[in-house]
Amino acid sequence: MIKIPTKVLIVDDEKDFVEMFSLRLQEMGERVFTAHSGKECLDILERETIDVIVLDIKMPGMDGIETLREIKKRHPIIEVILLTGHGAIDTAVTGMKLGAYDYLLKPADAKEMTKKLEGARKRKDEQEDRIRKAEQRTLLRRGGNV
Amino acid sequence: MAETRLLLVDDETHFRSPLKKRLQKRGFTVFEAGNGDECQALMEKEPVDVVVLDVKMPGMSGIEVLAWIREHFVKTEVILLTGHASAADGVEGIKRGAFDYLTKPVEFDHLVQKINQALEKRRREEEKKHEAEFKARMEQQMVATERLASLGTLSTGIAHEIDNPLAIIKECAEYMRLLIGKTDAPAMPRKKDFENAIGKIETAIDRARRITHQLLGFVRQPETVFAETDLKVLISETVEFVNKEAQNKKVEVSQDVENAKGIIWSDPYAIRQVLINLITNALAAVASGGKITVSVRETDAFAEISVADNGTGIPKENLEKIFEPFFTTKPPGKGTGLGLYVTSGIVGRIGGKIDVSSRVGKGTIFQVTLPRTREACMVMGDNKDMCLDILDMIKGDQQND
Repeated sequence: MIKIPTKVLIVDDEKDFVEMFSLRLQEMGERVFTAHSGKECLDILERETIDVIVLDIKMPGMDGIETLREIKKRHPIIEVILLTGHGAIDTAVTGMKLGAYDYLLKPADAKEMTKKLEGARKRKDEQEDRIRKAEQRTLLRRGGNV
Repeated sequence: MAETRLLLVDDETHFRSPLKKRLQKRGFTVFEAGNGDECQALMEKEPVDVVVLDVKMPGMSGIEVLAWIREHFVKTEVILLTGHASAADGVEGIKRGAFDYLTKPVEFDHLVQKINQALEKRRREEEKKHEAEFKARMEQQMVATERLASLGTLSTGIAHEIDNPLAIIKECAEYMRLLIGKTDAPAMPRKKDFENAIGKIETAIDRARRITHQLLGFVRQPETVFAETDLKVLISETVEFVNKEAQNKKVEVSQDVENAKGIIWSDPYAIRQVLINLITNALAAVASGGKITVSVRETDAFAEISVADNGTGIPKENLEKIFEPFFTTKPPGKGTGLGLYVTSGIVGRIGGKIDVSSRVGKGTIFQVTLPRTREACMVMGDNKDMCLDILDMIKGDQQND
């Protein structure tokens, strides 16, 4: 079976990290976009359709939580996985209350990351599926009323 | 004041004996010596507080006896008795460390007054010494506390900064592993060597990550949540948790909780963490066939959990250091030296205190004392204030329930 690539956007101000992480994800067959700041992330979201965002919480300027708020406001369907330092689990909890899919401690384990990416992708697919079905039903009902 | 011990040294019995009786009537415990040798023998057997010493004696002179006393009994005060015509002897005596001198014939009340003055001087000196010792101890403690605090801040800062480059190294290693593991990759020369090296990098990353996580975890713990906590259940859960490891090592972990109710208002997660840390430590300390006992003892004021092992024990010089961060006797990579540092931090956060006693070759006991009342907080040392705050909070919680 041919794998449908997940469109992942990595957002972190650590450029080397972003580069290596994206190389690995590409090697695994994902389609990867990168951004080094919250603003850059939002700009990319205007142009590209993204499935999952991996978002670092600690960034200069617009931080992860702020960026997350903006993402959820503009593109609620996109899933977000937060990257956090161990000392900031409470921030991760805040993030999940704001709608993030899950969080990972830095440095994250590759297997765990893959699992969470798959989970996030699956949740987004299912959500899109539900939306599609709901739309079909509204269409049908409308049709029946006419 | 406890009994005051006097020693009269004079070669004239008819002078000594009546003086002894009169001094005894004033409540002193009095000993007699007829010459310098007797005086030495007596003092070597039992120390005295004040010596009343005649200067002019056959054999050893009073000044010689004085020199001997100064050399061997620093704390003993000496009052010299001199002949009427030889005040110079008295002055000489004071120069050599006598408290004062009186000229014969001695007026009794005058002598008692002098004795009391000598005692007073002795008392003051002892007080001063105590004070100095206390101050030195306090200073030492403060230096240690401050050092720990700043060490903590510094190391968490470093831990944080290290996590980011660590994430990059990890990504690189994962990427390389992925590349050489690809089935469609062209045959790679010395692939095994590369895999081996990458494995080493990954192990080292995990080791570094364990350190940073433990450090950061200690400083910013999730909020403590207090609830009714059943120590007996917690202990049996924890023992269950480590049981497999214990069985592998053929170590018996027993619980002595029958006589305790074991219910306390505290943070069960914190206590569980403490128990796990202490029991795991005990497991590491005992040899195959060893024994670990977890027990609970309680009063209305305290609950006390002990973890005792019959393992290697901790040498005295290490006992004070075991709660410091990064102190470990294990080889590099085996222990972070953070376990007990974190454990004592957790115990402090729930208002308790942790004590250790150990004998090399016999074993070690760790005791965690958790307070139930305000009075109990008062003996918590450095954690007293925290303990009181927590009790206030608990009371609030219980009233809200």
